Amino acid sequence: MNKVRQSVPVSNGNEAVNDILPVLPLHIRHMIVNLPKSIKDKVEEIRIRQGRPLVLGFTAEDVFLDPGGRPVRLAVNAYKVTAKDMERLIQLISGSSIYALEEELKNGFITLPGGHRAGITGKAVLERGTVRTLKYFSGCNIRICREVPGAASGLMPYLINKNCKDVYHTVLISPPRCGKTTILRDVVRQISSGIPELGLPGLAVGLVDERSEIAGCYKGVPQLDVGVRTDVLDGCPKAEGMMMLLRSMSPRVIAADEIGRREDVDALEEVLNAGVKVLITAHGSSLADLAERPVMEKIINHKMVDRIVILGRSRGVGTVEKIIDGKSFCSLEVKKC
Amino acid sequence: MLKLLGAAMVVAASGLCGIVMAGGYSRRPRELRFLRTALQMLETEVVYGATQLAEAMKQVGSRCDDAVGPLFYQAAGELSSLTGVTAAEAWEKSLTNYYPGSALKPQDLLILRNLGASLGISDRDDQIKHLHLAMEQIRAETVAAEEEAARNVKLWSYLGFLGGLMLVLILY
Repeated sequence: MNKVRQSVPVSNGNEAVNDILPVLPLHIRHMIVNLPKSIKDKVEEIRIRQGRPLVLGFTAEDVFLDPGGRPVRLAVNAYKVTAKDMERLIQLISGSSIYALEEELKNGFITLPGGHRAGITGKAVLERGTVRTLKYFSGCNIRICREVPGAASGLMPYLINKNCKDVYHTVLISPPRCGKTTILRDVVRQISSGIPELGLPGLAVGLVDERSEIAGCYKGVPQLDVGVRTDVLDGCPKAEGMMMLLRSMSPRVIAADEIGRREDVDALEEVLNAGVKVLITAHGSSLADLAERPVMEKIINHKMVDRIVILGRSRGVGTVEKIIDGKSFCSLEVKKC
Repeated sequence: MLKLLGAAMVVAASGLCGIVMAGGYSRRPRELRFLRTALQMLETEVVYGATQLAEAMKQVGSRCDDAVGPLFYQAAGELSSLTGVTAAEAWEKSLTNYYPGSALKPQDLLILRNLGASLGISDRDDQIKHLHLAMEQIRAETVAAEEEAARNVKLWSYLGFLGGLMLVLILY
């Protein structure tokens, strides 16, 4: 068991920022390397916009970097990104292979080794009214992905049905940037690898990772730990992906991020009918919020799920605010974790 | 008798010199042809395989003739070194190393340089255009080089032997 765990790539949270260094132009790379460790450990995004200051984003605030690589508060003192920097950055991010990334550019982001993501803006090239690709790249946001193993440990006891060694149908609800994806990733990892303390054997999980956010696949291979029994369909539309996994991989649990379209819910129904457990997330801040949205309302009112978990940030990112039983709509007693 | 042996050696030596000179002329069209084939392979990798440039170049380098393989191989090595070089820089560096040992002329170098400037920076259609342009230019150069070679190969091989014979006549 231990041996299998070790073979799963795990990016070290502290050194996560080092993964993205190879895609940065040399002098920006030096600025980042020479930052104090306290900043390096906390930086969440590096925003590079042509002709504008270089910005480091943190959870609640952001700072500029001056030409010497020191953090500064005033934009006038900051290092301005040149057209050359931008061009080089795009070349390095794409491995000098823009032609190979047309699909990614259409979606607006590229997944980097280590599961980090580079969002890219520029001028859209249209073909028959739809975006074919981007050109004149002008902005880039490198989001550093940090997996938090154990983020869902406090939550797990409520998601497991001890009697039949199975998990409940679960939906995680949270506003953006409250750790929804991080929690989902850890739930998937724990279910897939098994939790001996809670008497849960590892279950085969099928993960539809439409936006390459959960497993952070690079060339199709998960860069983040999503467990030893997880099959990942990377970059696949959720509704189609769920059906594909259902047919081909015989999973016990199917997980997907950010359910929101009608076809997603239809596919979910299929999955439920097949007796496979579902594990999904949705944008929203409360149960009432979700019940008002025409598509999501079905999930709640038809009692499709057993557990509704509301996330927030009242005690930091990824706080479990409430766990609601999906059948009786009673709130289960939990202490915030 | 000794004189005759010496004369034969002189003729042989100068004839060989002529053949070597002639060989230099036939090397260029050969290399140009290999280059064109290599670019064709690169096109296939890039356009149909959507392979990353570093990998595509490595593949081309290992599959094409030794005369041009190193050019692609080294560029691939530079690109995957993670030292922050762009495709154009990697190609340029590899070209600078490759050119002196090759039979290529400055105009051939220029074609390859121009190609390097656009490698990997645009979408598929654009890459096809640039690769086709370079291949077309190389084809034109190949034709010219072949004509030149045909003339010079004959000239130099005759010149070698006849020069040798003349030397023998003078010295005899």
